[in-house]
Amino acid sequence: MSASLAEFRIAQPNTVKEAVAACLKHPGSRYVAGGTDLIVNMRRGISGPDLLVDLSGIDELSEIKTDGRGVTIGAGVTIAALARDKAIASRYRALAQAAAAIAGPGHRVMATVGGNLCLDTRCIYYNQSEWWRSANAYCLKNRGTVCHVAPQGQRCHAAFSGDLAPALLVYGAEVDIAGAQGQRRIPLSELYVEDGKAHLALAAGELVVAVHLPAAPPPSAYEKVRVRGAIDFPLAGVAAALTLSGTNVGSLRIALTGTNSRPFLLAGTEVFAGRPVDDKLLQEIDRLVQKQVQPMRTTIASANYRRVAAAALARRLVSKLTARE
Amino acid sequence: MHAPGPPPKKRLLRLRLNGRWREDAVAERDLLVDYLRDVAHLTGVKTGCDGGECGACTVLVDGEAVPSCITLAVRCEGRDVETIEGLAAQGRLSRLQRAFHEKLGTQCGFCTPGMIMAAEALLRRIPNPSDQEIRTALSGNLCRCTGYVKIIESVHAAAESAS
Amino acid sequence: MTAAPDQVSIKKRPGVPLIDGIDKVTGKARYTADLDHADALVGRIFRSPVSHADIIRLDVSKARALDGVVAVVTGDDCPHTYGVLPIAMNEYPLARGRVRYRGEPVAAVAAIDAETAERALNLIEFEVKELPAYYTSETARVPGAVLLHDNKPGNIERDVHSEFGDVRQGFAAADLVREEKFNCAEINHAQIEPHASLAEYDPATGRLMMQTVSQVGYYLHLMLAQCLEMDSSRIRVIKPFIGGGFGARVETLNFEIIAALLARASAGKVLMQLTREETFITHRARPQTDIKLKLGMRKDGRMNACECEVVQRGGAYAGYGIITILYAGALLQGIYDIPAVKYDGYRVYANLPPCGAMRGHGSVDMRHAFECLVDRMARELGLDPFAVRRANLLQAPTRTMNDLTVNSYGLAECLDKVERASGWHERIGRMPPGKGLGMACSHYVSGAAKPIHRTGEPHALVNLKLDFDGGVTALTGAADIGQGSSTMVAIAVAETLDISLDRIRVVSADTAITPKDNGAYSSRITFMVGNAAIDAAKNLKAVLVAAAAKKLEAKPEDIECAGEVFRVGKGDQSSLPFADVVAAALVDEGAITVKGSFTCPPEAQGGKHRGGAVGSTMGFSYAAQVVEVSIDDASGLVTVDKVWVALDCGHAINPLAVEGQIEGSVWMGMGQALCEETRYLEGLPAHASLLEYRMPTIAESPPIEVQIVESHDPYGPFGAKEASEGALAGFPPAMVNAIANAIGMDLNELPVTPDRVMDALIERRRKAKRNALKAAS
Repeated sequence: MSASLAEFRIAQPNTVKEAVAACLKHPGSRYVAGGTDLIVNMRRGISGPDLLVDLSGIDELSEIKTDGRGVTIGAGVTIAALARDKAIASRYRALAQAAAAIAGPGHRVMATVGGNLCLDTRCIYYNQSEWWRSANAYCLKNRGTVCHVAPQGQRCHAAFSGDLAPALLVYGAEVDIAGAQGQRRIPLSELYVEDGKAHLALAAGELVVAVHLPAAPPPSAYEKVRVRGAIDFPLAGVAAALTLSGTNVGSLRIALTGTNSRPFLLAGTEVFAGRPVDDKLLQEIDRLVQKQVQPMRTTIASANYRRVAAAALARRLVSKLTARE
Repeated sequence: MHAPGPPPKKRLLRLRLNGRWREDAVAERDLLVDYLRDVAHLTGVKTGCDGGECGACTVLVDGEAVPSCITLAVRCEGRDVETIEGLAAQGRLSRLQRAFHEKLGTQCGFCTPGMIMAAEALLRRIPNPSDQEIRTALSGNLCRCTGYVKIIESVHAAAESAS
Repeated sequence: MTAAPDQVSIKKRPGVPLIDGIDKVTGKARYTADLDHADALVGRIFRSPVSHADIIRLDVSKARALDGVVAVVTGDDCPHTYGVLPIAMNEYPLARGRVRYRGEPVAAVAAIDAETAERALNLIEFEVKELPAYYTSETARVPGAVLLHDNKPGNIERDVHSEFGDVRQGFAAADLVREEKFNCAEINHAQIEPHASLAEYDPATGRLMMQTVSQVGYYLHLMLAQCLEMDSSRIRVIKPFIGGGFGARVETLNFEIIAALLARASAGKVLMQLTREETFITHRARPQTDIKLKLGMRKDGRMNACECEVVQRGGAYAGYGIITILYAGALLQGIYDIPAVKYDGYRVYANLPPCGAMRGHGSVDMRHAFECLVDRMARELGLDPFAVRRANLLQAPTRTMNDLTVNSYGLAECLDKVERASGWHERIGRMPPGKGLGMACSHYVSGAAKPIHRTGEPHALVNLKLDFDGGVTALTGAADIGQGSSTMVAIAVAETLDISLDRIRVVSADTAITPKDNGAYSSRITFMVGNAAIDAAKNLKAVLVAAAAKKLEAKPEDIECAGEVFRVGKGDQSSLPFADVVAAALVDEGAITVKGSFTCPPEAQGGKHRGGAVGSTMGFSYAAQVVEVSIDDASGLVTVDKVWVALDCGHAINPLAVEGQIEGSVWMGMGQALCEETRYLEGLPAHASLLEYRMPTIAESPPIEVQIVESHDPYGPFGAKEASEGALAGFPPAMVNAIANAIGMDLNELPVTPDRVMDALIERRRKAKRNALKAAS
């Protein structure tokens, strides 16, 4: 049989309120939705909660609702359901593309929107067995004192690899977070912090419960680079949303994943408004991406590759969106 | 010295396994793959990796193909779980089993149960899948023998045999 | 039987599904981890956390004292080395005195459950004095480097030097001489079944039973006897279903001996299941290889000379290393007619998991370099790649300069077939931007003609038993690991006796029951065991014919038997059905058992030069392939759009299985070419999962169009040769040649991952910029 997981208990609440209460009561607890990230990490011994708060029984989390103000996606909606949703596919194309590109089909059936947004960061020095990590004196993210990726640095450089976040960021999505004090709503971009060890700005017991998308999204697209056609996490993932006024840029947003410890909106794209989409503009986008991404040696593929590829994808997405408009 | 404590307390898991309801004691930390192999003795469910990477353990839970090696058994409470052993009704091969056998969609056979279960979920959803739909549906199931060519042929053959 | 041109003809059979296929599709097939182990202890291995060190202290007393721990073993429990070649067995199942790679087994425990076993591992105290560790061939060979093995100066396991023909003269006569360096990454078999053994020791009888994933049960049997100091008659090795091998299991593996040691120490049954990570660490796969290759060519494409230097980073122990480095040199020949070939090979020790044999053993990286360079020189000379290959074909039968026998040779037909199928001439030079076509050839042995253990025994044996039920049981030691060898044996017997395939049952690979077989390696089974099966079936047929003759009161030579009916002459007047003949044959002596054998004749066993046995075979398979690729210049990602391959397997005994083997081997070549790679961080495997070791998924795997060429080998069973390995080595160069065709860049590193392509694209842009600047100034 498989190497056994460290012992834990499971709580199976039926409401968000119960879930938050259970989590707050037990400091060593973790939420689990699909489990495709957490259970793998638990099998590797890099996460060892003594209580799992199972969110799969909370019906209120698993709905996609549309109204005049936009779309609300419950954090418990599975990636497969999101990828199959016709309304999402027709209007929020980047999101549908990102969902369809996540892991393998079996993972997509289990994994959820909330889980993908709160995916643990990844690193070749971290996503390893207990034997491996202990032979390497562990690392800053887990039990150790040194980040092997940047031994001189002060922080963990593990990379965020969720595919949905950049797609949501280009729509200006917001997230609802439930916690001890009830619910709060923040822009998705504020959920993340550039620190591989603590990349989520969530207080103890806080839970992402829903994502809000605006009603009239700009045309968008998502693309990721990975070595294989399935399963792989993005070495770099890019989402772009572009409106044109005439042949010039109306608005442009670009967001990235896989390159930093957080997904982020590329800063400075507002200066492109009013300009034609030509080689010069594409080159500027390229430079902007290369300047802002911070890939480190967290994957087998080189950091520089991820930087260059992210920029190339951004260029291509903008060209494609321009052609499609 | 170092006396281990008592084993973790178990609880009852009730599920419908290959069409029959059953109830077993499982620990909360037990993975579905271990429950299926060690408790239900359904060793057609294979383990090929250290968690969620190869698809050899794929089973159907409520008709959806999922990796049982990263599924907690207790989360299958009240659900319908199907394994390769449940496909052949009264010893008659299912259309996918027959096709994988006859078209050589199986060589060493180790990925085969998971591959067939993933294909089964696909055919229930899309009775006549295209090459691309087959590729997408089976892209979480690694095979090291066939180069996948005869796997795609097998799924097509199974789809055709049903129509 | 020794080899003689075979007269048995075979009916053209469409493909036959595997005789054990139904068990596989129903989940009934039991692999090692599926065997009943309810009462078994759980075995776990304590592995070295350091790369290279002297062991100062190993204290297992706390582990041993833990409740639920039944046995703990260390290097003290086995003072014997094991390995492949008798001259190079330098590995202990559990380290003694020194550890040489991270992950090397040091101690092992058997406990009542997995949790207890793991807890026990944490109680083991291990103190070491670290030594400098070497992770590249280059650093390991630096003068003054600490030796991994004291008797191997320079950390070189074996250097090989040979020259056939006059290379200097060859280069002098050439119109074009080019030299290039290639670097091929280490890769792994990554069979989907992780390693596992179930070992059971009965202290009352002193018997050991091993059920394990081995491709070479008989070698394992010998090594167990050696390492456990047991009388080999007390050992039994049984092969359950095996989830692939590709060479991963063609040598005795440390965990197998460890499981046996634990079973004996605990006087019981131990299930040792390795994790995927441990399966990767056990390794024994294709080494990282540096190649320096120089070729001389005439304007018409004829090759004059070849000079090749190969350096293999072999890991910490010998394993198959000597054979691998010899193969790389030997198989420079046997495919083209080259008048002068010089080879220098170096097998180097490094502080990494030991390499070993992997599909296409020794030939793949060298063939990659060769076919790439040939293509580039053809381009430089303005010649078509097909024409260049055709200008250098062999004429069978022939003997190469290094004494390899080539009895059949279908390469010309392979070339014709893929050239036509791919539309090569219509399409080459007219491909859209970013798309390209490339081609390459390859070959492989149908079994090493000289066995590793030179006992003088026949090279293959098959026993047949025919009893009252009319069923024929074929007993073969050959390990079916998914390649379909048991099905091949059944077909060979059925064809020879002209009886229904359903009448035959194959029992394979159980050292207590089946005759000894050297195992599933070097694609030997079809050729050798197939011939032995035919021989056995002929012997059985003689018995049956004699019985039929007696019953029909005719002379045996007048008896015809076909379709389970025995007749006198061609007439229908007097005939007997199979069952009656069997009954008649049993009357005097009861159950019939016959034996068939096969031995490669001495003249096929290679030259007299040192290492000359390696590469020798009764028959080479030949393959040609065309690969079509697209390159995405934004991501650097190479997509393989389609493959056309033709392979000369002499005769396809089971065309369905032959196709499956060709598809699988081409695809495995694609994995090596495109994305597979083992990488170490200071000796720790960064790739040891099926997420980081990126074998292709179905999503990016191309259609593979297979054509079978049948050159009817004079010695092969029904004319057959191997079909499982020959096409692999052609894929990487065909793909790299296609990339050159698509974007005009010659890449010398495998795998061609997107980052490597991107680096090359950036480098090219830089160069262009520099040149433009130069031109401007």
